[in-house]
Amino acid sequence: MKLGVIKAYMFKELTELLRTRLIVMVYLMPSMVLMLFGYGIRMDVSHARTLIIDNDQSKYSRVLTSKFEHSRYFDATVAQMSEKEALHRIKQAKTDIIVIIPSSFEKRLLHGQKSEIGVFVDAAFPTRATTMENYVQGVILNTAQEASQNLGMPKGMITLNNRNLFNQAMRDEDAIVPGLIGLVLLVAPAILAALLIVKEKENGTIFNFYASALSKREFLAAKLIPVLLLHSVNIFILFLVATKLFDVPFRGSFTLYWLTSELYILISLSIGMLISVVTKRQIVAVVLTVIITIIPGFLYSGILMPISSMVGESYIEAHMFPVMYYTHILYDTFLIGEGLASAKTQLYLVILVFYALVMLSLGTLFLKKELK
Amino acid sequence: MADLEVRNVTVSYKKQIGIKEASLKANAGEIIGFIGADGSGKSSLMHAIAGVIRFEGEVCYGGVSYHSPKEAEQLKSNIGLMPQGIGLVLYETLTVGEHLSFFANIRNLRQDASFRTYRQKLLHMAGLSDFTDRQAGKLSGGMMQKLSLICSLLHRPKLLILDEPTTGVDPLSRMELWEILDEICKSEGTIALVSTAYMQEAAKMDRVLLFDEGEIIAKDTSKALIDSVKSYTYEQTACENERCFSLDKQTYSLKPLHAPHTEPTLEALFFVNALQKGRTLPHIEIEARESQDEVPQVVMEAKGLTKIFGDFVANDHVSMNLHGGEIVGLLGANGAGKTTFIKMLLGLFPIDEGELYLLGQQIRSGKDRQRLKSKIGYVSQHFALYKDMTVRENLLYFANMHRIAVTTALSRIDRYAKELGFEDYMDYFPHELPLGINQRFSVAAAMLHEPVVLFLDEPTSGVDTIARAQFWQILRGVKKKWGISILITTHYMSEAEYCDRVVLMKEGRKIADDSVKALHAAHPDAKSFEEIFLEYYRSKR
Repeated sequence: MKLGVIKAYMFKELTELLRTRLIVMVYLMPSMVLMLFGYGIRMDVSHARTLIIDNDQSKYSRVLTSKFEHSRYFDATVAQMSEKEALHRIKQAKTDIIVIIPSSFEKRLLHGQKSEIGVFVDAAFPTRATTMENYVQGVILNTAQEASQNLGMPKGMITLNNRNLFNQAMRDEDAIVPGLIGLVLLVAPAILAALLIVKEKENGTIFNFYASALSKREFLAAKLIPVLLLHSVNIFILFLVATKLFDVPFRGSFTLYWLTSELYILISLSIGMLISVVTKRQIVAVVLTVIITIIPGFLYSGILMPISSMVGESYIEAHMFPVMYYTHILYDTFLIGEGLASAKTQLYLVILVFYALVMLSLGTLFLKKELK
Repeated sequence: MADLEVRNVTVSYKKQIGIKEASLKANAGEIIGFIGADGSGKSSLMHAIAGVIRFEGEVCYGGVSYHSPKEAEQLKSNIGLMPQGIGLVLYETLTVGEHLSFFANIRNLRQDASFRTYRQKLLHMAGLSDFTDRQAGKLSGGMMQKLSLICSLLHRPKLLILDEPTTGVDPLSRMELWEILDEICKSEGTIALVSTAYMQEAAKMDRVLLFDEGEIIAKDTSKALIDSVKSYTYEQTACENERCFSLDKQTYSLKPLHAPHTEPTLEALFFVNALQKGRTLPHIEIEARESQDEVPQVVMEAKGLTKIFGDFVANDHVSMNLHGGEIVGLLGANGAGKTTFIKMLLGLFPIDEGELYLLGQQIRSGKDRQRLKSKIGYVSQHFALYKDMTVRENLLYFANMHRIAVTTALSRIDRYAKELGFEDYMDYFPHELPLGINQRFSVAAAMLHEPVVLFLDEPTSGVDTIARAQFWQILRGVKKKWGISILITTHYMSEAEYCDRVVLMKEGRKIADDSVKALHAAHPDAKSFEEIFLEYYRSKR
């Protein structure tokens, strides 16, 4: 390896990145994607528009309504209308939930008779509907429990005392943002790297490499090092966006986060480079990279669904892409903090190193210093 | 043993053979010319020798022989390759100075005092000393080629391979390129292999190799090659048999004709070879147009057209006119403003200053143009064809664009295919065809709507001799039978002689506007139009 030669190529790459303004993409895209998705993906439900039809207008019915009114999960309005009218409103998307308290609610309650509260939920989005349904049930059961205590019935034999670990407040940000870093750092460097070699092929400047004494390794090193350095800055930018803007806690070792991220960027770059080596046109390279990185990045980063709940093909596929291993370490450093003490983290790190080596060797293998 | 020996080199691609069993020998200081139609194997052989493509056979240079790109690796510090295409190896956003540093660095050169003087010398020879801070993308074509050349000379290669370095380059830059090359070859003892489309250049080289259909069919000095076809070349006369071809002033025939012989040029080689191979050149016969549009007396009149890009004046008050039934050649160095001018005429660039009349109408807005679009045909520098459509589909698409009825379009396409001689290629994709065929059907596409004026921007760049000769037959046929006007730009000064009138541009200004005859009369010493051109460019510099 001739360092001077690599340095010259690197300098050229950097100058080109700067002058073609591609550098904007390097720094704007990752943070932008993180912000767009970080704010955009919402799994929990708050401020669900709730229409309460209180046909009883009694003390207990008001206790129930006020419970809804005081919860941050609901924006409750109490109104008097027929069931039909209420359903019409849900159809027009003017409300999400309808709660109907029957007219003899308090009377039946005091008599110890069964009473039915009608609940309608807009289930156009099933996950959202399930969440809303659970919330409504929670509120009603809670009220019922208090009511039965007031009425002097024996206290419930079993009460739940659950604690959510790692994300006590069950915040979406905590669950999504680290996974997004895994997605962004897979896609952005890969796209940039995919352009690097194929661009020279398309323009014809690849002849400079073919016709000179530059070796394949020197060429690849010269291509990858500048973009690796440029993207390394993103590790810190994304960390700041996650912890400062989204208030995601960081409980693990920063060094582990940093070094694993560098390794991961290298993998992403070598995926892009591999695509760049085998394609002939920039547009093909970009489209291919987007498909190869974004889809598995989304599916297997744990943003949408946990890997542990995957079976069969999806389980195998998840293990084929690097994103799963990296996001595991990401979630660990952000939310858990076990770090290298966990055998799984150690194993996953080794797998990532192996992945990087395989990708780089494949790139060197497929790169030909001759015309096709 | 010669310094460079190429033995039985064969390059094959997936579908076809690039070059078959090629052999050649060259000694230090020699310049070897490669000539031949496009697709005849020149580039393939050059790539093989430069060690950038897999090949069979053996190349032996300086006692080291290699059979594959891998084995050639050890010699790459001695080889300089400049592939085909203007500014192909340059990075648009890097400056001239940065290019020189980059090329020196990737060659791992020690940048000491002697390197710096050599670098200055090259810069000076290329006339780029004052432009070291300019980005390559902003250089003219001629400057780009000179920069590419000096970049491939930086490491003082002993074997220099230049693939059509002068195609698309104006005569002045071309001459300067040759001056650099001659000087370096002599002083450094370099072997240079140079392919060219300009026969005047080939004639000056030490030896010439003629390529045809993937084989080297002749190798000798240009004088000997010319002598070999002397007996087939006659003064222009009527062809009596099939195996005969007439082209301005000369007739080539295998069978003896009753006409006096004349001194052939290297071009004659191509025609005689085609005749010998029994290739029938497509017969070009233009029929009268279908519609009966009157061609006005003055087709185009430009008064003081000016175009300014930033602080660069691309066209400085250019005035000219184009009469009905006239072929006008627009000549000038790369970057003289020819393309800008044509683009202004077409409305592709807004006019910054001046007045333009097309077909008697003043052009003030895009609306004025819209009505005239059906009367104007345009072929751009890089034939605007769709790569993923066959020739037929391309033509149909253009016909649709001009809203020509399908039946008319189909019959017209068939007729043009026959008349312009690309009937056999209708179902091929453009990239599978030689440039000459693409050029012909680009012109057909521009003529589908039967315009009264054609604007052609360097249609003949990179096109081989025979195809170029036939292209001019087409243009003259169109002019004669249709009576339309043609404005054409070209870098082949020999083509200027086919024009009724030439307009010379330099640095955005018009410097001459006259018939070729009148210009010859004004410059009695000039042997060819190229010399007149150079004289204009030098004297008023």
